[in-house]
Amino acid sequence: MRIFWILFSYEWRHFRAAKGLVLLCGLLLLTGLYGIYYGTTEIERQRQHLAALPELTRRNVAELQEKFPGPADAGDIGYYHSRFAVHHPDAWAALSLGLRDVNPSYVKLRLLGLQNQLYAADNTNPMKMLSGNFDLAFVLVYLLPLLIIALSFNLLSSEREEGILVLLLAQPVRPADVVGAKLIFRMSLVLGLALLLSVVGMLWAGVPADGRVLTWLLLTVLYCLFWFGVALVVTALQRPSAVNAVALLGVWLLLVMLVPSLLNLAVAAARPVPQGIELTIKQREEIHAGWDRPKTETMNRFFALYPQWRDTATIRERFVWRWYYAFQHLGDLAVAPQAAAYARGLQQRYDLVEQLNLLSPAINAQSSLNALAGTDLPTHLAFQRSATRYHDSLRAFYYPFLFRKVEFTHDDYAREPTHTFTSRPELATTYRGLTKLLLSVAAVYGLGMVLLRARPINPR
Amino acid sequence: MIHSIAQKEFISTLRDTRFVVLSALVLALLLAATLVGRASYRTLQQERQLAQGTVNEQFRNQPARHPHRVAHYGSFAFRPKSGLSLLDSGVDSFTGSAVYLEAHQQNSVNFSAAQQSGSLLRFGEMTVAFVLQLLVPLLIIFLCFGAFTQERETGTLKLLLSQGLTMRQVAWGKIRGYGQAVALVVAPTLLLAAALLFAGEEFASDLDLAARLGLFVVSYAVYFFLFVVGAVVVSARQTSSRAALVTLLGFWILSGIILPKATANLGASLFPASTKAQMDADVHEEAQHGLNGHDPQDKRAAALKADLLKKYGVDSEEKLPVSVAGLQMAAGEEYSSKVYQQHFAALNATYERQNRLSDWAGLLNPYQAIRPLSMGLAGSDFAHYVHFQQAAEAYRYSLVQRLNGLQASMGYGDKERRLDASTWRELPVFAYQTPGLGWALPQLLLPIVALLLWAGLLSWLGLRLIAKTSVA
Repeated sequence: MRIFWILFSYEWRHFRAAKGLVLLCGLLLLTGLYGIYYGTTEIERQRQHLAALPELTRRNVAELQEKFPGPADAGDIGYYHSRFAVHHPDAWAALSLGLRDVNPSYVKLRLLGLQNQLYAADNTNPMKMLSGNFDLAFVLVYLLPLLIIALSFNLLSSEREEGILVLLLAQPVRPADVVGAKLIFRMSLVLGLALLLSVVGMLWAGVPADGRVLTWLLLTVLYCLFWFGVALVVTALQRPSAVNAVALLGVWLLLVMLVPSLLNLAVAAARPVPQGIELTIKQREEIHAGWDRPKTETMNRFFALYPQWRDTATIRERFVWRWYYAFQHLGDLAVAPQAAAYARGLQQRYDLVEQLNLLSPAINAQSSLNALAGTDLPTHLAFQRSATRYHDSLRAFYYPFLFRKVEFTHDDYAREPTHTFTSRPELATTYRGLTKLLLSVAAVYGLGMVLLRARPINPR
Repeated sequence: MIHSIAQKEFISTLRDTRFVVLSALVLALLLAATLVGRASYRTLQQERQLAQGTVNEQFRNQPARHPHRVAHYGSFAFRPKSGLSLLDSGVDSFTGSAVYLEAHQQNSVNFSAAQQSGSLLRFGEMTVAFVLQLLVPLLIIFLCFGAFTQERETGTLKLLLSQGLTMRQVAWGKIRGYGQAVALVVAPTLLLAAALLFAGEEFASDLDLAARLGLFVVSYAVYFFLFVVGAVVVSARQTSSRAALVTLLGFWILSGIILPKATANLGASLFPASTKAQMDADVHEEAQHGLNGHDPQDKRAAALKADLLKKYGVDSEEKLPVSVAGLQMAAGEEYSSKVYQQHFAALNATYERQNRLSDWAGLLNPYQAIRPLSMGLAGSDFAHYVHFQQAAEAYRYSLVQRLNGLQASMGYGDKERRLDASTWRELPVFAYQTPGLGWALPQLLLPIVALLLWAGLLSWLGLRLIAKTSVA
């Protein structure tokens, strides 16, 4: 044990002497802090955008109150009044932005057919989305392995190349102690850095101190350990430094870039998503055909679904709102199977990636962190379902006005149902990710140990 | 002499199994990416053509309807994939493919591939451009990092120079040799891509596409050239192979992964853009109240009606040959579209300011010069996307205004009547033509200049540095 500590403390002296490595660690710390800064400001910006929406609704109501000073036909209000279903980020989202830039965080809803409102995209700069987010998760998943590689690609090889290893092993030291001390020194350094960044990030983002803190830290530690395991395997092969660097970088390239992009192609081919556009086209046909169909036909189809309004007055007018909203809703129902298939297709893709991410701990770590932060696809789908329920409750609120011909007064604006939705973590996904990460870690260390046993360390 | 050094480097590269395996891998990836790009190009193009055909047919086969109903029924604009997007899909995965065109409002372009891919897409897309921009430079680094350091470590550099060669000549010889090796890896793919592009009947004898492809090839040749030169220069300046490799890899990571993200995010932080909800509300408010805020729509409508009565010399709306409602719609559409266009232009100006930062970074980072150039040539960059959006909006506006004109010509009481089903067949359908190279090139000047500057400065300055390097 004493020998271990001697080796450990000499590693520390070496590290301090190597200006390049200190610089590299400092650089990673800075990029990490920038990642945290960017993530928190990005989420803050999204929060500000979302906070501006109630004001837009207030402006809209004020305009309507001016336009309809007295009691109004609820049909007019339903048509011109827009409100928002809002997807609030969880505090954790600042650390792992996930898909929050690709998917809109709000849906503007009028009383019309839901489907062509549900998929409206927000204003986005595609160039920015192409470049991607620079959040803490990016620093941990992409860049931290590079630091690990830079620190440990010449774990033994440099000592060998400089002729020190012979001298070292001539002392009463077991080779395993040397490798162990060197590896553990680097691990403490990197883990210290990663945990420091995570804790700073958590404090900065103001996350609640619940079990997720531990889960995040555990994910980070396991992911770092995995890369040290890869370094151990490469060290055990005992090749020159340059070969080690190439091999380690090759593994990084494979797991962080090639496997994900190839997997993306494979998943897209294996689980084709039904075209969302077909859905909107069909819905448009259904809704606009509503104008040309006999009114009784439309109303009978509607009453079959909502028998409570069956006893309302027969429509004789050329135009009346309750008929208009009835065929809008029937348009939605006509594409319900397509809408369900679209959402199911997306979910199936996600599930397939979940199953296959054992292939790359990088994908696994990224999707576990996203799931933890509630910024992944399932959360967006949950938000869309929540927006759908909100639209249902709006229809339920307006139907009595429309069918019972109750006039809409200024007080009724405040009685309208409201919507709130905050991301929820997909903890089950995270725990599965954690287990798989544990498996990967066990696999690389197992391999490293076997290799070290099989080929004793050669000092020359 | 330069020639024989080139020959030697080329041959020893081919003998190096590690390099051959690596090149074979890159080549396989390139060929696969070309074929996959071609397949996905075909599917997407067919899907969109089919969808555009369907909506056009639906539009032409509408029953007798009131024109304003048709304006609300509207149409869809599908963005066709540009020919070269099979090599570089640029921002296509993030832009969505279809926009719904209707009266009174301008919709977003919906259903992007990014929304359907989950987080996987964020790791990078397996396209030819991805391989060319990131993986081939890595291959070049692995190929060239030992160019001088190895000669020095084995002591052969002195022997070489004792033959009367200068360091500069040795460097050029090596650059030529490595250049040949890289060309051997990349050329088959570009040939395959060219064959696929020009053998397909949809592109045959398309001069614009040929010019784009030509420039595409030249740009990448310059890009690879400067990586080869850069790697050789670094190798000459560093004392050990290890140091050269680490320096080069550090540069690759910084330029290919960290800087593009950092500049894009910095741009977005510096120039915040408004949300669609905010923009729509602002457009609506300005269109309602007029730019000065003193002219509510009702007053304008009354003024319009009074003008019409005066113009036609009649005393009531019933006697007018035109429909007041139709003309009101047209005037409202004209006004609100103008307001929208202003906001849309401001939004795009903001996005361009955000992206400009990244373009300027091209002067520091060759990856950020080749990326916009490549997708600009492929017709899959932001400018091409905006061009489509504007074309879709121009079509929407002209369609709605034609329909408003039809309504106006129906005269008083138009709401009770419908126009014959044949009317819709006479209206033009949406057809989009990707703009030509002449349109795209001026916007790509900055990346072109950046790339050429890099190549020029590196070969001049770098080789001067090499010439001054000590031999030992």
